Amino acid sequence: MTGNKNTFEELEEALKFGWSLLDDLNFQYISDWKNDNPSRQAIGYFPIYVPREIIHAAGMLPVGLFGGGSHLQVIKGDAYFQSYICHLPRSVIEMALDGNYADIDGFIFPSICDVIRNLSGVFKIIIPGKFIKYLDYPQNFDWGVGGEFYSLELWKLQQELFELNGIQVSSRDLNHSIILYNKNRRLISQLQNIRSATPWKISTADFYAVMRAGYVISVEDHNNYLENVITLLGQIECEPEDKIRVIITGSFCEQPPMGMIKTIENAGCYIVDDDFQLGAMWIVGDIIDVSNDPMQALARAYLEQRVLSSSVYDSDGSKGNFLARLVKKHKADGVIFCAPSFCDPALLDRPELEKTMDKYHIKHISFRYHENLGQFQVIKEQVGTFSDSIKLWA
Amino acid sequence: MIYTIGIDVGSSFIKTILMSYGETPIILEKINDKIHKRNPSTVIEHAMDTVLEKQGLKYEDVSYVASTGEGELVKRKKGHFYGMTTHAKGAHYYFPEVSTVLDLGSLFCRAIKVGRDARVLKYTMTGQCASGSGQFLENITRYLGLNLSDVGTLSLKSKHPERPSGVCAVLAETDVINMVSRGVKIEDIIKGIHLTIANRVVRLLSRLKAESPVVLTGGMALNLGLVAAIKETIDVRNMNLEVITNEYSPLAGAVGAALWGGYRYLKLAEA
Repeated sequence: MTGNKNTFEELEEALKFGWSLLDDLNFQYISDWKNDNPSRQAIGYFPIYVPREIIHAAGMLPVGLFGGGSHLQVIKGDAYFQSYICHLPRSVIEMALDGNYADIDGFIFPSICDVIRNLSGVFKIIIPGKFIKYLDYPQNFDWGVGGEFYSLELWKLQQELFELNGIQVSSRDLNHSIILYNKNRRLISQLQNIRSATPWKISTADFYAVMRAGYVISVEDHNNYLENVITLLGQIECEPEDKIRVIITGSFCEQPPMGMIKTIENAGCYIVDDDFQLGAMWIVGDIIDVSNDPMQALARAYLEQRVLSSSVYDSDGSKGNFLARLVKKHKADGVIFCAPSFCDPALLDRPELEKTMDKYHIKHISFRYHENLGQFQVIKEQVGTFSDSIKLWA
Repeated sequence: MIYTIGIDVGSSFIKTILMSYGETPIILEKINDKIHKRNPSTVIEHAMDTVLEKQGLKYEDVSYVASTGEGELVKRKKGHFYGMTTHAKGAHYYFPEVSTVLDLGSLFCRAIKVGRDARVLKYTMTGQCASGSGQFLENITRYLGLNLSDVGTLSLKSKHPERPSGVCAVLAETDVINMVSRGVKIEDIIKGIHLTIANRVVRLLSRLKAESPVVLTGGMALNLGLVAAIKETIDVRNMNLEVITNEYSPLAGAVGAALWGGYRYLKLAEA
């Protein structure tokens, strides 16, 4: 490792900040933010994607909610959902009932799967009186059909937020928010490029924590944070280890436990790309930020610039080819299909994706997890042998 | 000259090998250090420094430091290899004719079918219960006030072994307490434990459809009582397997890591 000792210490401090937010299930940052801004609201949203620009333009703080991960033991949440669905809804219900979301003034449930749809209904029952919004997305990407529908959905969302705080959002306000989030996506993309090119400089676990901070802190703060981390990474040099390069896919909604990410990295892999926290990178490239109708710009971006994901309808098999292109782009040695147990979108896509990987002779393994998984021995074995098989026998 | 270091980080011992890698790899130094309430990272660093110092080498002279086991504790490493891969390679180094490796570790045991090129073909391993592991044996030895290095020869003196539960470590410990209360001879208790462990690992061999020769590796591979119990159990089951071990067997993981490290160093240099 080379670089100024202070640089390493600064980087460590910066990463610690991300981890502290990740570990804080009581959202102290939001509490502080509300104390500083008593007239403003925090709006929680669930995975995967929500157009945060609209919330931000309304003067509110968008807060990404993922559940308690491995920090939380779910007891009450189990009473609300059957055992054969994913872990995420049970976890967020537990947190809601325990008062972890006390500082959050409203919740948006984007359309991902039936479970999240039902979760919005459950929230109406368990947190009566709070703003609860089920946000539907188009599965038809023709502007005349899906575009019209989605524009109307976004307009309705804006009106509902107006009813909450009485702030009328102008095109200029929304364009300003788009500018900030465009910058945010560019910075994340820059950080992602650093990870892909030099994964020995920043582990995926740390990368995750830095990115995840953006789901809690304001976009302005997150942009500063990202710039700081990127600058510090540019000032250090580290020796690469002899590891294989892998892409992880299937973890876009319920997030994997940090222990699992670390296990994969310790078992001999550099994770050079993944779909964790996919919402922050859902839109590829910049959204037009000088339009007279920024709402339409947001809707068009969803239709025309979205990333390919299992939660979006795809009839022509382009998701498999997209993944194969990612493998090539990141010079990956293999793919790890890693989906939460009972995640219908990810698990239904998996056989087709595996077939495509086989077609291109891309090596792959697969396993499942749930967000509070604590035992990683089996995953360690699977990934360790996968890594060795590529390093020694490929 | 290509120097490699292999470090096998186990839960009780840290095994370190310094190797001169070439057409005929030679082990220059070896350390098998018990962690014993120390910080494992400190033990690792000390072992690395010691093997290098003994050969008058510096860290920079080493082409590849390879870890295996709990490799994340090895800070100054180039690469990590999975335990099965390294045990297979280490066993193959001493016994090129090896067909099966039986890794008798501290936390679990594994039976590994090995190809001619030291490739892992198939494996089975014990579950999460500790009753068939070295750690269990170590605990019982401590409770009985014995020295771990003496239990092998002590076990060989047994005439009437008494077996504890083979299912659960907690039940087995209770069984041992009862045996002590009943006045069962210490050597019969130890032999009974060896037979219980042997029974579990021979079942692994049976499941794997193991072939001869079976090379023992891991921390318990030099325990004479356990080796005798494994051979006895194999005979009782008419499995017709030859079991072999040597003084380097507990170091097989570290040896394998050092060997694979050398292989990777050359492969990366070619690329």
